[in-house]
Amino acid sequence: STHLEHQDETNVMSIEEARALWSEHEARTRNLAMILTEHLRLILQPTQATKMRGDFRTGKRLNIKRIIPYIASSYKRDKIWMRRSVPSKRSYQIMLAIDDSKSMAESDSRDLAFETLALVAKSMSMLEVGELSVVGFGEDVSVAHDFSTPFTSEAGAEVFRQFNFSQRRTNVRKLLAESIELFRTARLKAAGSASELWQLQLIISDGVCEDHPTIRQLVRQAHEERIMVVFVVVDAAAQKAQAIGGPKQSILDLQFASFINNELIMQKYLDTFPFKYYLVVRDVQELPAVLAGALRQWFAEVVETGG
Amino acid sequence: MATQVSGDRTAQVRIHLKTRSSDIELPEDTGPILVSTELKRYQLSTLVNRLLETEKPIPLEFLINGQFLRTSIDEFLTQNGISAETTLSVEYVKALIPPLYVASY
Ligand SMILES: [Mg+2]
Repeated sequence: STHLEHQDETNVMSIEEARALWSEHEARTRNLAMILTEHLRLILQPTQATKMRGDFRTGKRLNIKRIIPYIASSYKRDKIWMRRSVPSKRSYQIMLAIDDSKSMAESDSRDLAFETLALVAKSMSMLEVGELSVVGFGEDVSVAHDFSTPFTSEAGAEVFRQFNFSQRRTNVRKLLAESIELFRTARLKAAGSASELWQLQLIISDGVCEDHPTIRQLVRQAHEERIMVVFVVVDAAAQKAQAIGGPKQSILDLQFASFINNELIMQKYLDTFPFKYYLVVRDVQELPAVLAGALRQWFAEVVETGG
Repeated sequence: MATQVSGDRTAQVRIHLKTRSSDIELPEDTGPILVSTELKRYQLSTLVNRLLETEKPIPLEFLINGQFLRTSIDEFLTQNGISAETTLSVEYVKALIPPLYVASY
């Protein structure tokens, strides 16, 4: 894979180092993982109450639309009753996309990204509701863990080894285009009815990306294919700058200066941010609550639109 | 697979503006600013003057890693092998008034 090309340039951690790093992050986020799991359990699991269709408490009812075809077919097409509907078991495919670009190392976001990864991966595996994959992105996109492999501690260590935060670009456009393809393939491979499969991508990045109009279009395309994209902005540099009294470093303060017809336009960077759902996280402690909030909103919208 | 299509290159970079001249210091620390790598000296000068809220624009020169910026930022980064993932520290100084200009005064 192309990822190996990047690894050649820098030190790849040994599997022992990776295991130690994984258990450290796993231990640090253990309690949070339980909190997140509880939030997610409430959100991700379908309501257990069966919906009554029609207004008969017996659960049986004539389907009026079927009566005429029933008669017209000389009583052969006899599926004319409605029953209680039993909720189908939903399954999930969740992709964690971690920014492997150099700016992550520069902004000290590496640790926060690893903690976020450990936290989300742990919660998802505790829930046992679906499949988890991890991809790295920067100049290129590479799959660090695929949907079909169970996510264990050993898998976590292997994933950590594949990140070194030294890619020289942050191509979010490419990430989205390739992720949509990966989700399409995964949907085909998924067991059961495709309509019960929900797909979610969590992008974990420092948030600095370019070409917002094209990205916005790709996000829309993903939503049309019922792939939810949540962008988690890890804003680690903000805290550090604040602690040492240094200059503002937060993405919330970042300004974007552009020239349109030789006219200087200054905007807040986040004002043009192309993701509908994004969260700014400065501390992994905040993550369970904000992530749960975003997911709750998504599920409400999907349910409303009959997805 | 890593081959890049021309035109599909990094077009933006974060810059951190600073100066050693106290009379042209930015009023408050603005933090990094994201700009297009197509920018040249003139646009950067416009940007700093906007931040300084000067009545009459002060012509400025820019130094990155001690070198005067004579090209677009993009060309500078390419020539010096600097990745746009780095926040560039950009120092600005008052441009020396060209002799011709002084003579006409
Ligand atoms: Mg980056």
